[in-house]
Amino acid sequence: MTSITISNKEIAGKQLGIMLLALIGLGIAGGIAVNNLMAEGHAVYNTNNLGLFWGFPIVVYDYFLLTSTGLAMVASMALIFGGEDYRPIIRRALWLALAGLIGGVAVLMMELGHPLRALWAIPFSFAFSSPLYWKVMAVSFYVLSLLILQLRMLKADWRMQDLRINAMVTLVLALGVTAIAGVVYGSQSFRPFWASGDIPVAFIFESLLGGLAFVFFFTYLAYAFNPAAVPESVKRLFNDRLANLLALAIFIHLLFVLARMSSGLYGNAEGLQVWQTLATSPLFFAEILIGLLLPLVLLMYPGTRTRPWAQIMASLLVMNALLISRYEYIIGGQLVPLFKGSWAPELLSYVPSPTEWLLLLVAIFLSNAVNAFGEVTLRLGREG
Amino acid sequence: MAKWGMVIDLDKCTGCQACTTACAMENNRLPGENWQDVLFYHEGTYPNVKLMWFPRPCMHCENPSCVSVCPTKATYKDPDGGFVLMDYNKCIGCKYCQVACPYGVRFYVDEKAVVQPDIRGVFPSETDRQWDPPYKGPQDDPSRGIGIQPHGVVSKCTFCYHKVSKAPKGVADLDEDIPELKEYVPACVRVCAPKARFFGDLDQPNSNVNKMIADKRGVRLKDETGNKPQVYYLSGGATASVPSLRSMSDSDKG
Repeated sequence: MTSITISNKEIAGKQLGIMLLALIGLGIAGGIAVNNLMAEGHAVYNTNNLGLFWGFPIVVYDYFLLTSTGLAMVASMALIFGGEDYRPIIRRALWLALAGLIGGVAVLMMELGHPLRALWAIPFSFAFSSPLYWKVMAVSFYVLSLLILQLRMLKADWRMQDLRINAMVTLVLALGVTAIAGVVYGSQSFRPFWASGDIPVAFIFESLLGGLAFVFFFTYLAYAFNPAAVPESVKRLFNDRLANLLALAIFIHLLFVLARMSSGLYGNAEGLQVWQTLATSPLFFAEILIGLLLPLVLLMYPGTRTRPWAQIMASLLVMNALLISRYEYIIGGQLVPLFKGSWAPELLSYVPSPTEWLLLLVAIFLSNAVNAFGEVTLRLGREG
Repeated sequence: MAKWGMVIDLDKCTGCQACTTACAMENNRLPGENWQDVLFYHEGTYPNVKLMWFPRPCMHCENPSCVSVCPTKATYKDPDGGFVLMDYNKCIGCKYCQVACPYGVRFYVDEKAVVQPDIRGVFPSETDRQWDPPYKGPQDDPSRGIGIQPHGVVSKCTFCYHKVSKAPKGVADLDEDIPELKEYVPACVRVCAPKARFFGDLDQPNSNVNKMIADKRGVRLKDETGNKPQVYYLSGGATASVPSLRSMSDSDKG
């Protein structure tokens, strides 16, 4: 017990270091990005009116949003069904859900034409026919439910059965936000690359995968990647259950991606030709082979599945693969120009601008700063 | 109440772009950001090449997907006339309407200028508008998307609402050849030299536009989307009604 207590103090010091580094990174990346935006406006983004309306900032926003809901799903399902074994990861996952969401929404605010107007114009519009209206409303209540759950777990002796109703509400909202995010794209019937009734379901599994990967990575990060400092209860949970769940989630996500690819390659609808380019790109191969299959092997192979390095690597690779997957999906659906004539290329080309890359860093640094703040002040490892 | 619609005869269009120019002047559009454009398509390989042009305004759909996806009701269907309009004061620049419009006729112009040099630097605006051109249309109604486009919002063709909405009540067709009506005719229709464009009330069975749609089998673009455009094309079978980049490239490869 003494050695663990000392380790915890050391770890708290390291978390302070992470927070400081994240804040410095946020200051630099955010400062440059804001300066660029003030100087040139949205001309610093590589989006255009030929058809590429939503660029990398939307990819980053959706990635962080869906990761957040995935973390909330993992935590709330653990509260509802999991039992005491899952106790060590619940508060951390819920706080991380909040941290990720803050990072993503910050980037969205820098992408919108009128971010401040959005704060009042959306809630008071009552635009019931718009998926984005419902998404914003669901996210608002989702944040509220995360905060209530976190507040009710401030006392060290919180009991799972007392929080089940709260957890159910959080789970429903997390599922709702994720499904609506899927509807935003899936309902665009004239974009066959996006449109499909099962997109909300695919998004939910993708979220769950992200949530599980983030739980692994950020739990190890909380102990400064020092496996000796990780409590036995956490190790047991990771090795006995979560490694299997992560592998299963990778497998399901892989099925969704490969199924979409197969339909896309054989389909003849205008827009599906994007798959011909996408499926031969190095990025797609990196996503499938390194980002999904390699982690799957690491988590299935008996010699590696319980090794901390393998779990850290698998989760890190999955986190990257999901970002690539989100990028390919959102950008891929817009690559065919809409009624722009022969002057427009057959497929639009897009690479994120330097400022758009900076926004990814802004989201990463901001989320990490908020997460480290929680680790230090809320002692998220207390339950371990 | 009228339901204004446009008929474009593709067999008469010569691709002169007078409509594009008139629209740009009437609505103070930035170069290259044309609410109304005539698109060029080609099929085949040299020497068997076919060039086609395709005028493309906003379709002012009966069931517009851009309106249903807008999270702030900034874009809306005007029940009196059937115009699809923008309220610049409500738009947050999320661009979901651009994503949801199958016809690519919505414009967010805060990005890199399509035509260089960027004319916004030549005629900079000191207000929230994109630029301050030497000639400005006298009409300015941000709640209907009329006037110079402000920063951070999406804009679109208004069917020249500022002209058409002042037309005498009950008129079936707005024809530029009728002297007392010509001031109410949309700019793109009024300047069309080969008279390929017609504008009228789709709710009046005897309007000229309705007769042409019936007689020449007018078609609507991408009708399968359910948007039900109020712009009809007459092709007479001579011109592809819905050009496809994919078919163009396939035949090019052939």
